[in-house]
Amino acid sequence: MTSRGTPSRFLQSVLQNGVGRYVCQLKRISIIFSKNAQSSLGVREFIEEGVVDYAKKNPGTVVYVSPNTCRIPKIVAEYLNGNVREEMVTSQTSKEILELITKLTNQSGLDIIRLRKPFHTDSPSIQGQWHPFTNRPPSIGPIRPLP
Amino acid sequence: MSNFSRTAQQWATFARSWFLIDAKMQPPGKIATMCSVRLQGKHKPIYHALSDCGDHVVVMNTRHIAFSGNKWEQKVYSSHTGYPGGFKQVTAAQLHLKDPKAIVKLAVYGMLPRNLLRPNMMQRLHLFAEDELPEDVLANLTEELPQPRDVPRTLSQYTQEERDAFPRLWTPPADYKMK
Repeated sequence: MTSRGTPSRFLQSVLQNGVGRYVCQLKRISIIFSKNAQSSLGVREFIEEGVVDYAKKNPGTVVYVSPNTCRIPKIVAEYLNGNVREEMVTSQTSKEILELITKLTNQSGLDIIRLRKPFHTDSPSIQGQWHPFTNRPPSIGPIRPLP
Repeated sequence: MSNFSRTAQQWATFARSWFLIDAKMQPPGKIATMCSVRLQGKHKPIYHALSDCGDHVVVMNTRHIAFSGNKWEQKVYSSHTGYPGGFKQVTAAQLHLKDPKAIVKLAVYGMLPRNLLRPNMMQRLHLFAEDELPEDVLANLTEELPQPRDVPRTLSQYTQEERDAFPRLWTPPADYKMK
């Protein structure tokens, strides 16, 4: 199997985020859980322990905590570029959920797909791209080897 | 930046150069190494296996190549016609008499990578048996490459003074009869 048919993009950041100052790209995070279900135990624990600390630490992110009758608790993260990511947190512990939320906070919201190249630059070359006549001694007609 | 065209930059970077190699009194293997590097574009800092960045190579004087050792008689070029009993074997000397470009061509062909680009690279190799090149090829040349071996001088190219100054192990007496 080749990966050529899969969607791909180039390595990039959102508007050179972090060059001057860093803007958290996570706009809104909703924690959807059930008040009774066993699968939401870890989420409830996280809401008791960590969600206030998280919200205080990230003033740029709106945190919604919505109790809902649901079997599968989930975390919906919305980013400044409009991307929405839903993560299932069924039967996860409070610690795992904190790790997941930290990961979602640090992400840029760009699609997580194959990167064409693991490097990128906005200014390709100051010296100028190579061509066959760079560093070539000036001559009329072909260059000849030294006798 | 706005009126700087990336297209022209791209054309300049991937422009094909034409190299000239004089094969007079040179070993075909050495010539083929120089050719294969340049036909693949491996001498360029922008080389990449998937970008077709090979150059043209013109080899002249292929009739006057020099094999070392006993290769003219001992080196065998084999081929098979595909018919039963069609296995042909000729020595380098016989092949060279039949086609003065064949030895260099086979040497370069063997040094190029065995992939689908090989025929295209071979098309960019221009072989000439003598040192007369057509006008259109001459107009394209950008660089002549140095020869890997020094061309030895023949006896007729030495002046009489140089011949007299050559050190001798033994001076024949005046009445010595040359066989």
